[in-house]
Amino acid sequence: MKKLLAVTACPTGIAHTFMAAEALDKAAKEKGIDMKVETRGSVGVENELTEEDIREAHAIILAVDTNVDEERFSGKSVIRVGVGDAIKDPNGLIDQALEMEDTTPDDYVEQVKERKKAKGEERKGFYKHLMNGVSFMIPLVVAGGLLIALSFVFGLEAADQEGTLANHLNQIGGVAFGLMVPILAGFIAYSIADKPGLAPGLVGGMLADEVGAGFLGGIIAGFLAGYLAQLVKKVVKLPKNLEGIMPVLVIPLLATLATGLLMYYVIGGPVSGIMGALEDFLQSMTGANAVILGLLLGGMMAVDMGGPVNKTAYAFAAGLLASEIYGPMAAVMAAGMTPPLGIWIATLIAKKRFTKEEQEAGKAASVLGISFITEGAIPFAAADPLRVIPALIAGSATAGALSMIFNAALRVPHGGVFVLFIPNAVTHVLLYALAIAIGTVVTALLVIFFKKRSPQAQAADLTE
Amino acid sequence: MQLSEILKKDHVLLDIEADSREAVIDELTKTMEGTGVIADAATYKAAVLKREEEGSTGIGFSVAIPHGKSAGVNEPGLAYARLSQEVDWQSLDGNPVKSVFLIAIPEEQAGNEHLQILSQLSRKLMHEDFREKLNTASNSEELIAALEG
Repeated sequence: MKKLLAVTACPTGIAHTFMAAEALDKAAKEKGIDMKVETRGSVGVENELTEEDIREAHAIILAVDTNVDEERFSGKSVIRVGVGDAIKDPNGLIDQALEMEDTTPDDYVEQVKERKKAKGEERKGFYKHLMNGVSFMIPLVVAGGLLIALSFVFGLEAADQEGTLANHLNQIGGVAFGLMVPILAGFIAYSIADKPGLAPGLVGGMLADEVGAGFLGGIIAGFLAGYLAQLVKKVVKLPKNLEGIMPVLVIPLLATLATGLLMYYVIGGPVSGIMGALEDFLQSMTGANAVILGLLLGGMMAVDMGGPVNKTAYAFAAGLLASEIYGPMAAVMAAGMTPPLGIWIATLIAKKRFTKEEQEAGKAASVLGISFITEGAIPFAAADPLRVIPALIAGSATAGALSMIFNAALRVPHGGVFVLFIPNAVTHVLLYALAIAIGTVVTALLVIFFKKRSPQAQAADLTE
Repeated sequence: MQLSEILKKDHVLLDIEADSREAVIDELTKTMEGTGVIADAATYKAAVLKREEEGSTGIGFSVAIPHGKSAGVNEPGLAYARLSQEVDWQSLDGNPVKSVFLIAIPEEQAGNEHLQILSQLSRKLMHEDFREKLNTASNSEELIAALEG
């Protein structure tokens, strides 16, 4: 039997949407036709059409006076009419839909492909939330990173002088970076719990930064906030006349409170503990084998890119500058440059493994990479941490170890590729550049290799 | 929330005389102003008329459901008028209307239960037997009962 679908929507979404839906439902029932109608009214989307519905459908009736996303119906026969037409003549519309040509085999193949993709995506509700946060974060990383990089154009120390343009550029970029983790956490929570999740998510992200937990802490904060908001919604039952205060008062208040306290007591404690332990550990390593130290520092730079592990490694190396030990600083900077650079190369040679958005962010990552702004790789790491972070660590560890082997030394704690042109800032410049290049290639190849084995790709392999 | 919470007894006008679409909207707006649902009748009416401009809310079957979402509304409200003389509403089916539901929605709304009620009402209006009840109700209690049934 032919199955029909419909979507109804009107400008205010209060009455016509539902009348049209009812008219179609009723007419279909009278005709004995299988029909499902999605309503997009003020209440939100109800009776939503699933991928499966769409795949099985003979044709789709769009009775809408507003814009609706038609992309999901690509490859299907679609009739577009106004809401009024569905109310006035539902029978005619249904007849018209039934007469539409069935989708061609080509379209069907398309559909199957789509379906597989969707399957992989659906299975990963977790990744959907993550990706939502990441996609809101990307512009901040790009804008902030590029502005900071731009401030280096005026000279490496230019940004340190208050009131200069370079200083302001650096500040603006810094603010964008400061918003990065809150936005990531906020929109992960928003994806999970809708509007009431945003406030606890933003606050949790801010606190993740404050307790030094970096973007990984932000991801935890986002999920905590989102699920806590949902939990509050489920558990707290108010009398009907007070229900209105749930989304504006009760959920944000309780979920923000709980997320915040958890960030301080459960996340913050261990984070400072880890930082302390790592610091002690690194101190004990000072006399040890230089290559192992480089390997270690390099790997640490890529673990959380701006989080506690990265900061400890950076602070350790920068601290040694005062004792006129310059090798570790060189290793740390090389290792901090390879994550975004490697990602950039990966997006260039393996476009298919990345979304359009990521490909664009990859271009910006190149500039951030050469500027030693490791954060450029965060969107990619956050979107797929278990696969991307190990690749980044391996590449950074390689760069760090090579830098030590080549006996490279760096006298300033920042600057990226620009310091290579400053006389005496770096020793063994060419070998140092080689270390960075090799680390970059290792990162890129591993990212591509791991990404290939992403669950989405595997799901597609299995069903093929 | 029950339908009767937004369709108050005072909001029901049975067999009134009105000679135009605007007159009907005015009459119904007045009832909701009287019960405090509408704070600023002029602002609200402007929103309703603007919605009519976007497309008539005459849905056919002699029924119209003008509605407005406006800052001039205190709380969700619904008013009903049965007209003794049919009025032209530029309906979808070209016929004049006899039954008018006027819906008032506040700009800032907390919760969406009233929207659920209105969507249910809209669905019911598509059924002939339901519309028949509107025409035969002899007082406001009977009418509200029919709507809730």
